[in-house]
Amino acid sequence: MSSVWLLTPLYLIPVFSQSEVLLTILIFTFILSILAIGFNIVFGYAGQLTMFHGAAFGIGAYGTFLIHSSLGISFWLALLPTFVAILLLSLLVGWICFKFRLREFYFAVVTLAFSELVRLVILNWNSVTNGSLGLLVLDKPTFWLPGVGVMMIEGTRAWYLLALTSLLVVAALSYVLVRSWIGRNFAAIRLNEELAQTLGIDTFRYKLLAFAISNIMAGYAGALFGFYTNYIEPSQLSITQSLDAIAMVLLGGVGSILGPVVGAFVLTGLPHVINLSAELRAAAYGAILIVAILVMPRGIVGLLSRSRHVS
Amino acid sequence: MTQVILGQFLNGIIIGTLYGIIALGVTLTFGITGIVNFALGQFMMIGAYATWHLTDISHLPYPIAVALAVLIAGFAGLLSDRALFQFTRNNLVNGLLVSIGLISVIESGALLLYTATPKNLDFVLSGSWTFGDITVPRMKVATFGVLLVVIVFTWIALANTWLGRATRAYAQNPEAATLMGVNTEALQVGVTVYSCALAGLGGAMYASLYSLEPSMGALFILKGVEAAILAGIGNLAGALVGGIILGVTESIGSLFLPTAFRDAYGLIFLVAILLFRPSGLFGGQK
Repeated sequence: MSSVWLLTPLYLIPVFSQSEVLLTILIFTFILSILAIGFNIVFGYAGQLTMFHGAAFGIGAYGTFLIHSSLGISFWLALLPTFVAILLLSLLVGWICFKFRLREFYFAVVTLAFSELVRLVILNWNSVTNGSLGLLVLDKPTFWLPGVGVMMIEGTRAWYLLALTSLLVVAALSYVLVRSWIGRNFAAIRLNEELAQTLGIDTFRYKLLAFAISNIMAGYAGALFGFYTNYIEPSQLSITQSLDAIAMVLLGGVGSILGPVVGAFVLTGLPHVINLSAELRAAAYGAILIVAILVMPRGIVGLLSRSRHVS
Repeated sequence: MTQVILGQFLNGIIIGTLYGIIALGVTLTFGITGIVNFALGQFMMIGAYATWHLTDISHLPYPIAVALAVLIAGFAGLLSDRALFQFTRNNLVNGLLVSIGLISVIESGALLLYTATPKNLDFVLSGSWTFGDITVPRMKVATFGVLLVVIVFTWIALANTWLGRATRAYAQNPEAATLMGVNTEALQVGVTVYSCALAGLGGAMYASLYSLEPSMGALFILKGVEAAILAGIGNLAGALVGGIILGVTESIGSLFLPTAFRDAYGLIFLVAILLFRPSGLFGGQK
């Protein structure tokens, strides 16, 4: 668990720093890290270049909020039906893609197509999703604390703790997953799918599993994102969302648990640390990405530690 | 009803040739350099804005503006190849990321230079032709004609010249082509620049028909990739046909089904094709 423990000192940051900006950037980093870690499981470990995680992120955001507000149940309870929905959709999309043996570029394009279909449905289902205007999320998740009772998670500090704890849980679960026999089977599929199949690994089932797990993680990140920013809109599940997560994973380092977190921090943090206008910030984002890819083809974590490839 | 369908059909063909010219760039770049340049839509935007700038601000005649815009887009392509793409040859994922970075950089450049306010070109060719019940704006026909000529020219040139044979040989077997004296590096640079110039031409023609926004490129690269895959990656004539099929599917689809899902019809069609003919409609790598 060494690499996951490295994240725990982050709990101390609110003790030392009063900076709202720093904490806000870190909250975004943590939430997007969850999305990136999810993508890394299916791409970095199982070797399938999916583009569906942006859609899963959006379904997570919309689903959790809509179920929460229409049924009047808490954020945490609303997560469950959302996860079930994402699971079913992932199984459907994954089944189609893997049954027809789509790989690499073709798999990416077909998952991208499904992702766009989900976005179009959300964009045009005006009666439920309010179309391109998006939805205002005026509620916050609640949390039960012994002695204090039920409290709302409000304010930067509380969200910092929630986001960081969520990230730790997801990172720890991923760590356990990729170190288990399931993770070894993922690696076998990534390295040589035919061989994996010959060795008796049901590659179809494992690819489907990786795809579903990564989408559920993306959905959780989306749910947190919607409730944190108080606003959900269709552009949150655009292609850009998927591409951003891919960029974070490749920048940080493929196939490591910490890599996506580092990548998310650099790509969300750096453009904000340098004080720039919105246009220049987008340019800075692009420039950071380009330089990072050209200078460190194996990502930041790959550069720092010589091959910490968990496989 | 018939003339509405026919009108939409023609519209689909014209927008489809715009998809086709991007698809041609995608197919060529993928075959020779092993990456997909996702910033091609932004090179199209460069061509469109260059045309707008040269005609509306520098008051040059439209054809000269188009020619210069193509050169500008090609030069931008050369710069990006020297600075970026020469380091990502045959690395699909890194090429993807570098071109995503390039998209952000080019789009913010356009936003800074020209703001987000849509720009409109004055009418270049006004009026329209009428065939029976159908009216077609002349400019749309001209756009279709120019793009068709360029795509067919590219196809014929690649089928008949030494350069074309070298390109196809390289796409089939890079080592063997190199041994036969094909200058690999020059070929890869040339293809990258040519695909950017093609996108620039698409943008220059687009500028005469629709209003321009810095974010216009994103849609076209998606359609271009869709069209290229639909036809089968590596199939040059197929890129045009794929683009047209896509454009017509969308136009006709939005006649009978909700328009809001316009972009979805092409995608569903693409998924269906990929599932039942994984190498595309006309087969891949020729």
